[in-house]
Amino acid sequence: MKNRLKVLRAERDWTQARLASQLEVSRQTVNAIETGKYDPSLPLAFRLATIFGRPIEQIFTPDSAALDGE
Amino acid sequence: MNETIRSSLLTKLCGDMTARDRRNLNRANVWMAVWLACFALSTWLIKGERVAAGPVGWLVAAVPTAVAIGAILAFGRYLREADELQRKIQLQALALGFGVGLFFGFGYRLFEGLGAPQADISDASVVIAFFYFVGLWLGRRRYA
Repeated sequence: MKNRLKVLRAERDWTQARLASQLEVSRQTVNAIETGKYDPSLPLAFRLATIFGRPIEQIFTPDSAALDGE
Repeated sequence: MNETIRSSLLTKLCGDMTARDRRNLNRANVWMAVWLACFALSTWLIKGERVAAGPVGWLVAAVPTAVAIGAILAFGRYLREADELQRKIQLQALALGFGVGLFFGFGYRLFEGLGAPQADISDASVVIAFFYFVGLWLGRRRYA
């Protein structure tokens, strides 16, 4: 799954640590999501959507391979 | 003492953690340290025949198990409340440790039948612990 987390965070000039603190997760988790190594749970994705004030689908997009499999 | 716990191997292997996770993991580490001390003391008392078989001996033997319940509950709380990526890393490490330990335990019996030295459960627990730490290290690297 791809995401725009890094862009959205940069627009607000937030550090990974600050976003992690708001989400109540570790900085490693934010970094792993940003780099696409880890897909967050649905509750965490909703928290991200709330923090950035955007719908989930504007933050996360499925890989084309995942869509092809449907 | 606190600094020692904070810099413990388990805490270091878990890498970046929230304050809540660090607190819960430190609590579990303290329980583990107490269990280890109780187990060593009980072993020293029982193996050295410093306590006689009977109610006192049974009590001495039961103390580490009672403390272990506290350690399991503390680690369970850490896992329940942990940051979701930390929980995933921990579960994968536990699965690796348990899986390798289990198959090592059964597999080694075949070698024992061929004349390899006898192994007991403490040998399997060393394998479990080793691969658990390997799993933590791998998880930390994978999601770094």
